[in-house]
Amino acid sequence: MKVIGLADGELESSLRKAGIGMSVSEARSIASILGRDPTLSELFCYDAMWSEHCSYKSSRAVLREFLPTEGPNVVLGPVEDSGIVSIDDEWCVVISHESHNHPSQILPNEGAATGIGGIVRDVNCMGARVVATADPLRFGDPYGREASRVRWVAEGVVDGIWQYGNALGVPVIAGDVVFSRCFDYNCLVNVVAIGVVRRDEIIRSRAPPGSGERNYDVILVGKPTDSSGFGGVVFASDTLREEEEEANRGAVQIPDPFLKNVLFKANEDLFRLVREEGVEIGFKDLGGGGLTCASSEMGAAGGYGMEIDLDMLHVAGEFPPEVLCIAETQERFLIIAPAELRERILRIYNEDWDLPNVYEGARASVIGRMTTHDRYIVRHRGEEVVNVPIKHLTGGIRYERAWRPRIRNLLEPDVRMPEDLNKVMLDLLSSPNIASREHIYRYYDTEVQGNTVIRPGEADAGLLAPIRGKDFGIALSVDSNPFYGRISPYWGGATAVAEAMRNVAAIGATPSTLTDCLNFGNPEKPEAFWEFRESVRGLADAAKNLWLKGYPDQPVPIVSGNVSFYNESPEGAVDPSPVIACVGIMKDISKAITMSLKDAGDGVYLLGPRFDELGGSEYYRVIWGVTGANVPVVRFPLERSMIYMVIDAIDREILRAAHDISNGGMAITAAEMCMLSDHGISIDISDLGDMRPDRLLFSESSGFIVEVVDGAEQEFASIARSYNLNPVRLGRVSTGGIEIERKGKMIVRLDPEDARDAWSSGLREAMR
Amino acid sequence: MRIAVIQFPGTNCEHETLVAVKECGMEGEIFRWNRPEQELCEFDGYVIPGGFSYQDRVRAGVIASKEPVMATLREEAANGKPIIGICNGFQILVESGILPFGDGVRLALAQNVMIRGGEIVRRGYYCAWTMLRHDAEEKRCSGSYILRRGEILSIPIAHAEGNLVSADKRVIERLIDDGQVVFRYCSERGEIINEFPVNVNGSTENIAGICNPEGNVLGMMPHPERAFFAWQLPWKHPRVQGYGPGRIIFESMRRYIEERRL
Repeated sequence: MKVIGLADGELESSLRKAGIGMSVSEARSIASILGRDPTLSELFCYDAMWSEHCSYKSSRAVLREFLPTEGPNVVLGPVEDSGIVSIDDEWCVVISHESHNHPSQILPNEGAATGIGGIVRDVNCMGARVVATADPLRFGDPYGREASRVRWVAEGVVDGIWQYGNALGVPVIAGDVVFSRCFDYNCLVNVVAIGVVRRDEIIRSRAPPGSGERNYDVILVGKPTDSSGFGGVVFASDTLREEEEEANRGAVQIPDPFLKNVLFKANEDLFRLVREEGVEIGFKDLGGGGLTCASSEMGAAGGYGMEIDLDMLHVAGEFPPEVLCIAETQERFLIIAPAELRERILRIYNEDWDLPNVYEGARASVIGRMTTHDRYIVRHRGEEVVNVPIKHLTGGIRYERAWRPRIRNLLEPDVRMPEDLNKVMLDLLSSPNIASREHIYRYYDTEVQGNTVIRPGEADAGLLAPIRGKDFGIALSVDSNPFYGRISPYWGGATAVAEAMRNVAAIGATPSTLTDCLNFGNPEKPEAFWEFRESVRGLADAAKNLWLKGYPDQPVPIVSGNVSFYNESPEGAVDPSPVIACVGIMKDISKAITMSLKDAGDGVYLLGPRFDELGGSEYYRVIWGVTGANVPVVRFPLERSMIYMVIDAIDREILRAAHDISNGGMAITAAEMCMLSDHGISIDISDLGDMRPDRLLFSESSGFIVEVVDGAEQEFASIARSYNLNPVRLGRVSTGGIEIERKGKMIVRLDPEDARDAWSSGLREAMR
Repeated sequence: MRIAVIQFPGTNCEHETLVAVKECGMEGEIFRWNRPEQELCEFDGYVIPGGFSYQDRVRAGVIASKEPVMATLREEAANGKPIIGICNGFQILVESGILPFGDGVRLALAQNVMIRGGEIVRRGYYCAWTMLRHDAEEKRCSGSYILRRGEILSIPIAHAEGNLVSADKRVIERLIDDGQVVFRYCSERGEIINEFPVNVNGSTENIAGICNPEGNVLGMMPHPERAFFAWQLPWKHPRVQGYGPGRIIFESMRRYIEERRL
């Protein structure tokens, strides 16, 4: 394709006409490196590899500047498809976190399913068994201007998640859902997957040492390549426009959990073979950017070149070379292995697991070989269609984006004291952002694999016991509050980290690692880039200041993540949404606790003083229709002490229930502890100071409410003293309803059935 | 005592099912569908675990029911060896005609329909812990051999098609009359209430599991392997001697094989 000698305008129009998204200057820089006009296939390969999605060209500098990615438990930081941290000397957790936002807005079912399909491959390709997923979801206002579309998207996304995940056989153990008008035209569908692997059985996504010198095979496994998802990463790196919806549908991939299920089992046999042979292979899933991305990244990571022959690919029809290179056909993996294993590898996929008969056209094929030169070469029908320096292709480009604070002029409102706090309580309990998630999680197979200890709805985090014969468990939670992010992207980032960590602490697990999926608007706009930068700074500060328990001054490492820009429609960008996942390690699963109140008579305590921090609260939004300005902040030493104290108290088995304070404040937190319990709660807030009762009850300042085993109050107090904390005794677990008293006056008295009705119907109604 | 856990393409519960088999003191292995079917005869019992065999193409269980291994299982069933089909395994046994009477397809496991107060409140996939009442006589069925009639177990379900129906009313009558109804969805106190959420999927007569006339083949929608260890149970659910109630199903299989040998 002609680049050299064309004027900017001509080049621009010829790029767009060909369907290539890169800028004119990017095209020119490629031509100048090659010293000739690039071929069409080369331009498509660069377009994919240099897309925001694959190259992190806007975000990388900021991520490097702020994120802590190292720690004593880190086995593999964010360099490959997934991050890895150790559980003990033998076992590790593998974690990956991604978004699938644009495809899910266009085709909710396929988009969400592909999101799961991609993330589980990322974890599996490290040699790990995938044991759980979590799904943080953000949808528009179900009662707003786009209500029917929002509900269509929400329902389709949930269907896509269950249809894929259940069939694959990976349980959903955590997730969250937030509805806000800012997601009306751009939903967020994030997905987290975790796996387990023995430390000495980790497989790397890079060409192994010696593979170039010994001309290792490049083997493609799985579904026959077709044109689905062609241009997917470029589509994901642009703003969504309604008039392009038809064209965009073609960029959404078609996933298949059935084939994936069979592939995973065949992969297990592959892993066993290479373990037994003591051979190191390279293994990587094909995701964004398709074959070109997976193969060139593996080659470059090993410091080798490679030659690929497209005529050796198993395909689902006739496609031009650029399509075969970058189409995002799902359910494929790439193996780099020595030739002496070739026959045995092919037999695993093509005979033992009988791929050609299980799925039409699926198989394993040798498609190329590793070399010691530095070129990435692709042939098609005997012609060289790509011949580029491999590190130039994978190295991408960097942009230093400008940033400028977004000015919102938010003020604290002057709201009056509500007359009927019971009604406020019921309205909050039925808010789609607070109500029971049961309507959704009953669609998810939370039990498959038989590892589930704590399932969605029971506690602030899910818990798995993935290894028989071991006492440890893996806890997982996710969090991000767009309403806080709107007021302050910095505190939005910091509170997401703090809450995700509180969530795993609330069941007794110790936060071990974090991942971040950063969902923002168009980074070419300085305000959006500022929001991104502020959020990263905030979440990094929290990770650095909340410390890995047992290692003072060491951050909780962030070992995996994803950046999703262009979450923007002509109506505007989504509110800053740094979605955080936290993995916690529970030393002994038999000590884990849930949030439900268990024994009448036990004392109920509040950890965490209340501050006037109602900005972004459910109370302001649902009851008064305002945002406010006083967003909750994270007081790092206090936060850290509270998290540590709850972990210690659970370890000493003196708590029977714990729940972190978040949406709806302490009053809703207390009520939620009754929802799945046979018990009620009776508390008195007279000792909490002079703040107005509504502010006291509904401020979302961080903290916990805990049920202390009757008789263990002394021990509880002594742990508190050791952390310099002053928990307040609020009252006790009762046999009745939800009662809140202040200065001798009952200010809330709710019948448990009324509360339960409100709480259990809110989400169902919103998604109907 | 060797148990084969049958694995079709799309099966996804074989590993935890094998754990349950082994924990009960039986030997076992996962048996891939395309292994020579003669090798199956060497086993003393069989479990067809849950999953989405062949992607539920056509209908859940149909394709797997046509595989050569199923013809072998039919012969082994006729020899009196125990077979337990769980969830998709139950669907496969029904599609192969081994259940309910061994003479062809007489039942269907249709899409879940949750009905309360005469209204459909939900359809399709549902994952939840359910209460089951054991309605068969003791020693009637291989998979509930050591359970007394009327005992209640809490075991989870996770399926989209578990609503047992028959076009012929007499099929259901015969199942009940001959004591082939092994498990029914019930309330915590053991009442059979034909309303969601007690009848969790709309199944005729709240039926959750049935056996063949001889009692050696059991099909059930709930997953006992997921209620095997005490720690797998939600906090509220009662433990049975330090274990989950699902253990009884596998323990029953072992006892059935032992007593049959005597």
